[in-house]
Amino acid sequence: MYKYVIRRMLLVIPVLLLSSLVVFGLMRVMPGDALTALMGESGNVGEKELAKLRKDLGLDRPYHEQYALWVWQMVSLNPGHSIFTNEPIAVSLKKAIPVTLELASLAMIIGIVIAVPVGVMSATRQDSASDYVGRVIAVSGLSFPEFWLGTLVITFAAIWFHWIPPIGYVSLWESPWKNLQQFLIPAAVLGFRLSAATMRMTRSTVLEVLREDYVRTAWAKGLEGRIVVYKHALKNALIPVVTIVGGQLGVLLAGTVVVETIFALPGMGRLTVEAILFRDYPVVQTNVMLVAATLVTLNLVVDLTYAWLDPRIRYR
Amino acid sequence: MRSDTPGRIRPSRLNRREFVRISAAGVGASALIAGGRRPAAAAASPYPDWLPASTKPPKRGGVLTRASAWDPPVIDPRHTQSVGLFQFAGLTSNRLVRHPFSDEATNPNDLTLKGDLAESWSANADHRVWTFKLRQGVKWQNVAPLNGRELTAADVKYCYEAYAKEGVQAFTFQEIEGMETPDKYTLRVHLKTPNTLFPQNVAEHVAIIFAREVLEEDGDLKKRLIGTGPYILKEHTRKVRVVLQRNPDYWDKGRPSIDEYVILSTPDDATRVAAFRTGQSDIIWRASVSDVEAIRKTNPNVQVQAYSNTLAPFGVALAQDRPPFNDVRVRRAISMAIDRQKQVDTVFEGHGILGWGVPYIYYQDTPPTAKDLGPWWQFRPAEAKKLLAEAGHPNGFETTLFYYEYFPQMSSQVQLVQQDLKKHLNINVKITKLDYTGYYGRYVDSKWAGMSWGFQSGHAVGLDERTYMYMHSKSTKNFFRVNDPIIDELTTKLRRTPDRAEQRAIAKKIVDREYDQVLRMWMPYDNGFLVFQPHMRNVAAGALRRTDGYGCPTIARSWIDK
Repeated sequence: MYKYVIRRMLLVIPVLLLSSLVVFGLMRVMPGDALTALMGESGNVGEKELAKLRKDLGLDRPYHEQYALWVWQMVSLNPGHSIFTNEPIAVSLKKAIPVTLELASLAMIIGIVIAVPVGVMSATRQDSASDYVGRVIAVSGLSFPEFWLGTLVITFAAIWFHWIPPIGYVSLWESPWKNLQQFLIPAAVLGFRLSAATMRMTRSTVLEVLREDYVRTAWAKGLEGRIVVYKHALKNALIPVVTIVGGQLGVLLAGTVVVETIFALPGMGRLTVEAILFRDYPVVQTNVMLVAATLVTLNLVVDLTYAWLDPRIRYR
Repeated sequence: MRSDTPGRIRPSRLNRREFVRISAAGVGASALIAGGRRPAAAAASPYPDWLPASTKPPKRGGVLTRASAWDPPVIDPRHTQSVGLFQFAGLTSNRLVRHPFSDEATNPNDLTLKGDLAESWSANADHRVWTFKLRQGVKWQNVAPLNGRELTAADVKYCYEAYAKEGVQAFTFQEIEGMETPDKYTLRVHLKTPNTLFPQNVAEHVAIIFAREVLEEDGDLKKRLIGTGPYILKEHTRKVRVVLQRNPDYWDKGRPSIDEYVILSTPDDATRVAAFRTGQSDIIWRASVSDVEAIRKTNPNVQVQAYSNTLAPFGVALAQDRPPFNDVRVRRAISMAIDRQKQVDTVFEGHGILGWGVPYIYYQDTPPTAKDLGPWWQFRPAEAKKLLAEAGHPNGFETTLFYYEYFPQMSSQVQLVQQDLKKHLNINVKITKLDYTGYYGRYVDSKWAGMSWGFQSGHAVGLDERTYMYMHSKSTKNFFRVNDPIIDELTTKLRRTPDRAEQRAIAKKIVDREYDQVLRMWMPYDNGFLVFQPHMRNVAAGALRRTDGYGCPTIARSWIDK
């Protein structure tokens, strides 16, 4: 087990290195730089001054030097400052991460809370009306993109109820009630989409497991249906579901970009998109590396969860 | 309708179909009156273009909130002219000279200069030396390190020197040769060349006076913005909010009326509309009549001001320093092959302007018609083809056009131009759509070939900025690459002409030359609408200064009638 974990962690290094090269390269290939964006629509900045600013920000150095410096900064856990705002990136992340974390966690909870019971119900009542309803919900979740659903929700909430989540982010510690009002609807929008794939997977795996011999044995022993489904079948059916949930994290993070924009939440998504638009190299690179590291770690956690769910699984 | 509710619209409940019908009837009638010629550009707006000031005494208190698309990247006025900063910087800080507020002006086009920090100003005979007499007793905001000390002429001198030294305003302030402060309240500015329009330049929204101590302590102005203005910057959390709190020691006693102004960063348009509908936002900009009507269905009592643009900020910029665009016949042919009225009718729902670059209010009383723009601006495809053939391109040519989609309608405009040029001149335009930074970097670099969907900066109000600064061949803001000796001569002459009537005559000559040589090929632009909650007072936007943008200082005179 430990060997497996260590081996997997060592594999993280080339993955992160490759990611760093890709993001660094892509940012340099894009036309324009942060200075151009920063100057706004004035244009009356002389070449000399631009050159001076470029030098001050280290943008005039050869690419390999810029890359080496950045990698060193990342390794020493000091990602530097935003070119655009001059704010330390660590400070920006400290503000943005809790927002995205809260949104993603709530969305994940909502997604699972919807997906697993509906999936189980669909499976246990296959081809019934409730199964069809569950499947329609799942297909809808897959079909409606977040930007559409989010825009629709906020528009019709305003027209029908004369209410929308309060704009202007407030942290959970400042005002839990206001914070909850701000997060619940965006999390539901994200969670609904997330629930679709999870629900479909839950349904199909539960259906499959319900046909296994040991489940038949459980029925034959005269166990209650609830115990057969939730204690014996569901746990074994969850392995592919956990894989799907783990895989959905990437989708979830991508979804937060749109949802954070619609609901005016200052999370990682908005931070990254803005940084890309303004060629804020250090911010984009740091954010991408952070997301890459998070996904790699979560994938490892998902893999390790298999052993807990199914004791037959051994890591070598 | 209450007399103290300026601009409130009677609940006529026009639907879109009725509106189009009525507009069409109106346009038809105008066309008949005009002898059957094609309507100029804009359909009549069902909303007033001016909201008169309230006759009631202002009430103190309340919080004004606005969901805003813009988020200031930095708050250093030396390094940005972005509306993100100047949607509130005009409230934290003052300028030497300003334009009239909505409760002082009688119409949106009133640009009479008023004293802001300066009580009076005068020039010597040749307009090279300008003397500004400052108000006495103006105090910086009571925030460390200023702690409410008195503003002096030395502060203004320091500030202008800093602007000239580096940043986006350097070109403007580098025309200052030197400054002296004979006493605490007098600033004498010596210019390198005569400029009768210099007070207009220091009245620009971006020419705010910042605090010397902050720049000296921090080395930049990125973290703190302290001024002498009616509001103190209490909070600036990027991507969340800007909070401005009433300055109790403001020199204009009794003002401002509103206690707090909160700008909420709201990047999504649908969310801004929802925020307005639910009362979380008090001001919103809408681009079209149908957008306004949609809001009025849920909020029938809102106040609407039709905002008529006095210029078009966008146009087709040609690489006119190289073939084929250095041939005036090619430029004229292209201009004649573009159906601008079609763009107004289809893209802007009939509520737009044909496009011109210098604010018309500086040279005539009414917006230019197609006829005023001259022969090369009429849609005459047959003559365009003939002219292009004369220029040696009977079979057209290939070219490129890059642009950034500043607003959704722009892509439609670009495609219509592409269609027109292909159809009428056989010019194949390969379009490249870029993101902002990619576009901006390439555009201002001024080394591109072919075409670009060009812009002129949005903040400027003054005539000098809109002529000399944007069109003189030596100016770093001359994005359209105008290089015309007559324009250089006229724009320089304009700066040396103190008489208003003569200024108007010269400005007219400049635009006539611009139209004749098609130096900047302006494209249609929309007239929009400012929508206010029913309880807002004295919020009307003036020409070139929208209340929700660069014209924010007007909020110093606004109040909430609740």
